[in-house]
Amino acid sequence: MAAGPYNYSYIFKYIIIGDMGVGKSCLLHQFTEKKFMADCPHTIGVEFGTRIIEVASQKIKLQIWDTAGQERFRAVTRSYYRGAAGALMVYDITRRSTYNHLSSWLTDARNLTNPNTVIFLIGNKCDLDAQRDVTYEEAKQFAEENGLMFLECSAKTGENVEDAFLDTAKKIYQNIQDGSLDLNAAESGVQHKPATPRNPINTDQPPNKEGCAC
Amino acid sequence: MESIIQDNVDPIDLKNYEALYNEQSRRGHVNEKTQFDYALCLVRSRYIRDMEKGIALLEDLLRNTKDEMSKRDYLFYIAVGFVRLKEYGRAIEYTEAICKIEPGNRQAKQLESYAKGKMNTDGLIGMAIVGGAVLAVGGIIGATVAAFKKKPKK
Repeated sequence: MAAGPYNYSYIFKYIIIGDMGVGKSCLLHQFTEKKFMADCPHTIGVEFGTRIIEVASQKIKLQIWDTAGQERFRAVTRSYYRGAAGALMVYDITRRSTYNHLSSWLTDARNLTNPNTVIFLIGNKCDLDAQRDVTYEEAKQFAEENGLMFLECSAKTGENVEDAFLDTAKKIYQNIQDGSLDLNAAESGVQHKPATPRNPINTDQPPNKEGCAC
Repeated sequence: MESIIQDNVDPIDLKNYEALYNEQSRRGHVNEKTQFDYALCLVRSRYIRDMEKGIALLEDLLRNTKDEMSKRDYLFYIAVGFVRLKEYGRAIEYTEAICKIEPGNRQAKQLESYAKGKMNTDGLIGMAIVGGAVLAVGGIIGATVAAFKKKPKK
């Protein structure tokens, strides 16, 4: 029963955005499967992944939409921004162009999500330090100027990958606790699940059919 | 995969991309991007006729491109459309076509195994329905026979 599918108190919706080939799908895969995918083809449209994590002794289910970086999918992927509680914005530390495009990704993220959406900047491929094209300090400064959280990660080695996803969740949770994130708002990206009932089988059914006024 | 298949387009998006497509149609030339954006909305619509139209628009794009990457993307969303229409056999033809372009494409494989899984469950449900019908028909025959047998005694 402890492993029941409803054994979490919140659902947070995340999106992962950024240029093609920066490693968005690999970050998701590393986070959900704890494995590195070599030779990953470019994502078609969107991919989806979930994982249950724990923040402040609360179980939280992360529903993660990993978007294609290809320009041609921009119209589709934009529709997934709505109602995201967290946005992971990724660039590749070995390709300056992917860093230079961040302001356009950030504009999209700001315009299409709500003001409380936590945006986390990830400099991926930090295992390839010899090929580095963007310094840590520079990106850190960009993040600070724009009020973003920031880490350099490696989907290949797994370095800091957990932290990026977990720190985003901690920040969202903190926003809920201090009241800045309104759970009743239509597009908060957070769903609160009441405490796990004793009999999880019944959770699917409407609570009271007799209450119907029709 | 379930989440991706079940994900419906926002009707406002569908309306906007439809307007753009219709406007370009009136002017006599629809560009590839507009057709693609509209088709992807249609395929993710709640309505069967929209899904069918979306598939037709993607088929048209597929015929007119030589770019392998574009083909792969069109094939994938045609397959998604057929899965949403519950035409799993057709969907599998398209996921197989993707694997010819990009062997080992994970998304195509996931979609294919999803379609195969659905095909099996639907098959079982179908068999159960047929089985139920056989039992029911059997029951009717049995009852009729019994009724006829009773009648002569009267």
